[in-house]
Amino acid sequence: MTDETTWIIQAQQGDDEAFTNLVETYQKPVYNLCYRMLGEPEAAEDAAQETFLKVYQNLARYDRERSFATWLLSIAAHHCIDKLRRRRFNSFSIDEDEEGQTDLPDRSAPDPESETAKRQERERLHNCLQSLDPTDRAAVIMRYWQDCSEVEIAQTLKLTVPAVKSRLHRARRALADLWEEKPAHVRTERKPYGSPAF
Amino acid sequence: MDHQPFENWLLDNQPLTTDQKRQLNTHLRTCSSCAALAEVNLALKSVRVAAPAAGFADRFQVRLVAKKQALRRRNFWGFVVLTLSVLGLFGWVSWPVLKDLIQSPVNLLASWISSLVSFWASLQAIFRAGMVLFKVVPGFVPAYIWAVILFAAGGWSLVWVVSLMKFTKYPQGV
Repeated sequence: MTDETTWIIQAQQGDDEAFTNLVETYQKPVYNLCYRMLGEPEAAEDAAQETFLKVYQNLARYDRERSFATWLLSIAAHHCIDKLRRRRFNSFSIDEDEEGQTDLPDRSAPDPESETAKRQERERLHNCLQSLDPTDRAAVIMRYWQDCSEVEIAQTLKLTVPAVKSRLHRARRALADLWEEKPAHVRTERKPYGSPAF
Repeated sequence: MDHQPFENWLLDNQPLTTDQKRQLNTHLRTCSSCAALAEVNLALKSVRVAAPAAGFADRFQVRLVAKKQALRRRNFWGFVVLTLSVLGLFGWVSWPVLKDLIQSPVNLLASWISSLVSFWASLQAIFRAGMVLFKVVPGFVPAYIWAVILFAAGGWSLVWVVSLMKFTKYPQGV
């Protein structure tokens, strides 16, 4: 029996310490998914915390035959999709996006300029990602950031495998179009209060 | 400009032959759309996982404790409201009886005893009528009718037993 299975069983029996071990193990993938989905560190932190609370409350219903990671990411992805649908008209502030993040240039890297260029490219990709449909965005994040297979993405997002493939193709085509529209040196001005009306 | 088959090569992520790679590179020099797709592919392959600020699990513990307290408070107030509602409803429904009990308890008790006595007398009358029918009816009904009734009752019971067994069977191997 793996450590994870032991912690799940103990957590299902009400052991909070075992659940904390699960939180520590999965905090990074869950937070990353939420951050890439929502675009803001504060929103991502809140969504990741809420995801773990939902998991805690529904742990008794978890089927141990299924992968815990897939189940957990499925809850996180659906939580973020719901949040995005609720705040459809809000826009993200690019300046705020990287605050408090670990994506800062690595001073110990041999070439700081190349590190800065890489960081800018990541920011650019992150910004393009925010324009995708929430489900397509979740599929792309799971594929490239979480290294999930198409089958795992299908299970997580409750889609068929051909639908996942089609969504990934469409999303990458859309990202490329956005990539072409938004050159690396152009930075969108911050919109006060996040509303186009201002 | 025709983007095929280059777009499919880029989207499918399939390994390309040397000749295909050469053709793709030539196309990418002249096609900005496919070049953007190739750049996105490259950017997606070099993504970095964002990590939460230190102390995420501790912040979760604090939130969990707060959530549990909120849940306990909600349960407590829910119980209080439910109890008060049930008591209020009971008081409202039983108020006419309670009023009589308070005003003239002897009359109310006498009416209850009278109702009990009449109910008991009705039961006895029904029982006696049933006994009479039980003694008289068999004489009027032929034996084969009894056989049919018993057979039908047996068949009906069998249908019930089989149905119950079928619907209460736990699914195996799903």
